[in-house]
Amino acid sequence: MKVMVAVKRVVDFNVKVRCKADGSGVELANVKMAMNPFDEIAVEEAVRLKEAGIASEVVAVSLGAKPCEETLRTALAMGADRAILVESDSELQPLAVAKLLMAVVEREAPQLVLLGKQAIDDDANQTGQMLAALLGWPQGTFASRVELSEGQLKVTREIDGGLETLALALPAIVTADLRLNEPRYVKLPSIMAAKKKPLAVITPQDLGVDVAPRLKQLKVAEPAPRRAGGQVGSVAELVSKLKNEAKVF
Amino acid sequence: MSERLGITEDDRAIADAVARFAQNELAPQAHIVDRDEIRTTRYASQLAELGVMGMNLPERWGGIGASPAALILSIAEIAKACGSTASMIGAHYLATDSILIGGDDMIRDRYLPDAASGAKLGAFALTEPGAGSNPAGMITRAEREGEHYRLRGVKQFISNADDAGFIVVYAKTDPNAGTRGISAFVVDRHTPGITVSAPEKLMGIRGAPAHEVTFDCLVPVANRLGEEGAGFYTAMKVLDNSRLDVAATSLGLSEAALAAAVAWAKERKVGGEPLANKQGIQWMLADMKLRLEAAWLITLQAAAKRGAGEKFSDYSAMAKLCASEAAGFITDTALQVHGGYGFTRELPLERLVRDARILRIYEGASEIQRTVIARAMVA
Ligand SMILES: Cc1cc2nc3c(=O)[nH]c(=O)nc-3n(C[C@H](O)[C@H](O)[C@H](O)COP(=O)(O)OP(=O)(O)OC[C@H]3O[C@@H](n4cnc5c(N)ncnc54)[C@H](O)[C@@H]3O)c2cc1C
Repeated sequence: MKVMVAVKRVVDFNVKVRCKADGSGVELANVKMAMNPFDEIAVEEAVRLKEAGIASEVVAVSLGAKPCEETLRTALAMGADRAILVESDSELQPLAVAKLLMAVVEREAPQLVLLGKQAIDDDANQTGQMLAALLGWPQGTFASRVELSEGQLKVTREIDGGLETLALALPAIVTADLRLNEPRYVKLPSIMAAKKKPLAVITPQDLGVDVAPRLKQLKVAEPAPRRAGGQVGSVAELVSKLKNEAKVF
Repeated sequence: MSERLGITEDDRAIADAVARFAQNELAPQAHIVDRDEIRTTRYASQLAELGVMGMNLPERWGGIGASPAALILSIAEIAKACGSTASMIGAHYLATDSILIGGDDMIRDRYLPDAASGAKLGAFALTEPGAGSNPAGMITRAEREGEHYRLRGVKQFISNADDAGFIVVYAKTDPNAGTRGISAFVVDRHTPGITVSAPEKLMGIRGAPAHEVTFDCLVPVANRLGEEGAGFYTAMKVLDNSRLDVAATSLGLSEAALAAAVAWAKERKVGGEPLANKQGIQWMLADMKLRLEAAWLITLQAAAKRGAGEKFSDYSAMAKLCASEAAGFITDTALQVHGGYGFTRELPLERLVRDARILRIYEGASEIQRTVIARAMVA
């Protein structure tokens, strides 16, 4: 079966993000970018399906400006077979991304689309769900385990009460949670080999999708700084402080 | 992210992959490696799997065809996490570069793929008790005995020697011919007649063991690298490359020290305000940054010359001198910013200071680099 994976270019998780002074967004100038960690888990899962002989081809898709090609090259180095960039300099909100992905799905006809559960920049946690709704496909979100048995996809999800296992008919959408797998170290020869793998560039116009934002972002602000903590000398002092200062009980 | 001069997207992709491994696997162990003198040769197979042990080699022998800049960035990333590991890799490259530069395809085919795959670690034996800065003064002898050479002598401070699969040994085939009497040989580590001493007790890079090695053994003629008498020329070419590795290690240690100093200065409050507000501290940070960036530039300039196939001995000497002296200044100043805490073994500053100290000594001490730089102008 053909597997498609969506990957987003985000600020590297090691970077301490800062808001722009005018509150219009997050500072991106001279900031290190990387693949969204949850998408990396999704790529790893797709590559493992291929290595297990279940997936026949892994296609990585990214949406955004030209530098997203670097993110796609990472996916190729991890083991994806080819890549597609839907190139756009506009702001792409989850709904626009879902619509673009739907158009790519219609062209590529994958049996399974893997995405990260959310991107660590806007934490929207919407794209996979919206894509499933637009396509009318079953969805397994927050997957911590994915298994294919007898043409059905068994997806284990982490929910508040514990683990829930769903059986999905294919084609389906799955979004990856943290514990689905541990992505591999990309080997240096694979990075060199990835340069030779095909990477196609198309535009939202090619796909006939209107990507105009539907939501307006009013302001981005730093969270209030946390007050420094203090050390207590004894349990009794802790209880007294909880009671009298924090007024917890 | 804006990049330094001459670094391509591919170079960055390679360095990022190495950085990830280094930060996850090497950095958390670095203080234990230092404290307990754990040999970083134990990382060789993991590093080989990643592609690092053959990074200096062409694809034909299991390398990846990386640019000199990618090599520098990668070694810097490893040094940022663990100076001992960077040093261990540097010694391996000294050995494999010797074979690549001095040998023919037959011997390259015999040793280099195993070196790249991690099956065999390399060591490089040039220095002797009586010949460090002046390797031409070596007295180790290789005398022809039929289809073999009889190798006799003592080599000093040989990194990786005990755990190596092979040692590249430089010896005199003609004691009357000066530098033209020196030849290079690849010697299997477990050849009868090789004695490796217990590792030296070192001030820094304590996870990169260096040994005295005594040779009284037979080496097949087929294990000679190139012609008789070509060894000194090979060694000098190898050192041109390896001095860039030392520069890269210097840059990595400096990056780690400066990042720690900046973070500390912003966090630590003295007299009610962060250290970073004090002009005296700001000037320290500024001087550290300036020397770091200058060292990066000259190192990348040397790498660009190497990549273009130009002669770069003087540039690699300048890069090594500039970067290793900067590393001494930067690690020491970063410790100063940390005050008493920097002097404790709870923080990595004192280790960075100790690890950086060797960089001004091995592969040609600072004085020797100056000689190389001057010779390019006046000779
Ligand atoms: C941890 C460690 C690992 C090493 N690994 C290896 C290895 O793997 N393989 C290998 O072959 N060697 C290795 N070495 C050896 C290293 O390269 C030498 O120690 C170095 O070249 C200096 O030689 P020396 O120690 O004999 O010092 P000396 O040559 O005795 O020099 C002493 C001092 O005098 C200065 N000096 C010497 N000549 C001049 C001059 N003409 N003008 C001005 N000043 C001068 C030097 O710069 C130095 O400061 C290693 C050393 C150490 C400590």
